[in-house]
Amino acid sequence: MKEASTAPQRSRLAATLTRPVAGLLATTYRWVDERLGVSDLTHQLLYEAVPRRGAWAYSLGSATLIIIVLQIVTGMFLLWTYVPSTTEAWESLNYIEHHDEFAAIVRGMHLWGAYVLFVVIGLHMIRTFVSGSYKKPRELNWIVGVVLFLLVLGLGITGAMLPWDQAAYWTATVVTHVVDYIPFLGNWVQEILRGGPQMGPETLTRFFAIHIWLLPALLVPLIGLHLVLLRRHGEHGSWVNYEGVEVESEQHRAERMAHAESPYPALPSDPGYAVPVDLDQFFPSQVFKDAVLSFGLVILIFVMAVVVGAPLERAANPAALNYVPTPEWFFLPLDQILVQFPQAWMIPVGVFVIPGIGTTLLMLVPFLDRTPDREPWRRPEVMAPALFAVLFLIFEALLAVNRLFNL
Amino acid sequence: MAEEARELAQRRVSRRRFMIMGINVAGAGTALLIAAPIVGSVLSPVFAKRKTPWVMVADVSRVPIGVPTAYVVNLPINEGWSVPPVPRTVYVVKLNLNGSVEMLTLSNVCTHMQCDVHWDIGLQEFLCPCHGGLYSIDGTNIGGPPPWPLFRYEHKLVDSTLYVRNVLYEP
Repeated sequence: MKEASTAPQRSRLAATLTRPVAGLLATTYRWVDERLGVSDLTHQLLYEAVPRRGAWAYSLGSATLIIIVLQIVTGMFLLWTYVPSTTEAWESLNYIEHHDEFAAIVRGMHLWGAYVLFVVIGLHMIRTFVSGSYKKPRELNWIVGVVLFLLVLGLGITGAMLPWDQAAYWTATVVTHVVDYIPFLGNWVQEILRGGPQMGPETLTRFFAIHIWLLPALLVPLIGLHLVLLRRHGEHGSWVNYEGVEVESEQHRAERMAHAESPYPALPSDPGYAVPVDLDQFFPSQVFKDAVLSFGLVILIFVMAVVVGAPLERAANPAALNYVPTPEWFFLPLDQILVQFPQAWMIPVGVFVIPGIGTTLLMLVPFLDRTPDREPWRRPEVMAPALFAVLFLIFEALLAVNRLFNL
Repeated sequence: MAEEARELAQRRVSRRRFMIMGINVAGAGTALLIAAPIVGSVLSPVFAKRKTPWVMVADVSRVPIGVPTAYVVNLPINEGWSVPPVPRTVYVVKLNLNGSVEMLTLSNVCTHMQCDVHWDIGLQEFLCPCHGGLYSIDGTNIGGPPPWPLFRYEHKLVDSTLYVRNVLYEP
């Protein structure tokens, strides 16, 4: 009786269907498991302690991962038709849009996947920032995350060049000309990226290679490192999981540490913050929330792909005089900075120095915010500048929208 | 006996060091042999020689003085393999300077971020739609972010027929 109740519960239908081959399936699984260690791996991946409270906010990271996988898969299948050539890229996509409804949905999902990815990765960063999860011993994982964010931005802007329609052509023109303002080496860098002084056939093949190989080849292993580091130190969660740790007794704290579940505490952390007070199992409670959020986002991406789809403007025409190029929305703040920093010596300040300082500060956040406090309202010295930075980017984007649509 | 053993031990260490050196040399050599042609191919556009043939634009004898007139020219791209020539716009501007007529062949590529500028009839200026750059009729940058005046195409007149080539110069 007892044995029956602890046996894994399978649906009656599955049991009935597999009865004739149940023994064979079990033997095969055992054979494979002995050689691959599937059970151990699954156990390691699924049965980990995670913070109990605020768990919906922690679904943003896995949603980012799921959408990146979606981008890789849809991208693979766009390659079934897309031709990376200045004479055929637009033709191949125009063919998709007019003669291949399903491929047009795949293309739409790739575009809307990118848009949703920017929102989700931004929220993921904001969540991590607000909860101070970058603090000791997770500093390096924050830096890996910033690099991943920059790679995703790079993927977004190189992807925007590939259709070789008017929008893509002028995006590519501006992006490859920005580097011309690098002091001393700018001209060389521009020629290397374009394959010559002007936009030409090699410009597209280069950015195609960067988009589908160079950046993903950096992105995928870094995502692996991001996850390994996450698992090494455990999910930090937010301050709600650490209520009362500052006033607890030494004895209570020591007891709590002694009973910490894997992976806590892998390394010594700030006193009291090594292990969340209240723990839950990654599977199924966190995985359930992750699955719901990701599924919701994939539904959104699918619906947008079907209803709106991905636009394709007229084919690139460098001689068109009535075309107003507009950047992708996630580059609007940078485009506005281009307007605000006129004249030769100011331009490098606007396009390299200011974004460079911003990115460096973002990477150094764990080393600038060194107090043990996790609550955002007790860290005004980092929260206030961060809020200012976010508002500044939104303000710049609004200025750019106002400028571009009132011309 | 003890000396022999020590010698042997030393030789073992040196054999180990030899292999570590070998690994390092082989690793560095492998990296160098792979990297050298890649770096060369990446840098090749910088050192490429380019031909810039003359391309006929049009008979420009009827271009009015003081009205920038756009001509689309199919300029061959001298990079990568042969693709159809890219259409570009050349603005032919005739200006009356103290009684003598000067003709300019302005590139319509904005010197800020290389978007296409166009002659705005209302403003009587060249306007760039990307970031709002403004140029006067002779291409002088007079507003917005552009750091330099509009570049000019090298040109020649055969009778009244204008030829340009893909060589730009700063006025």
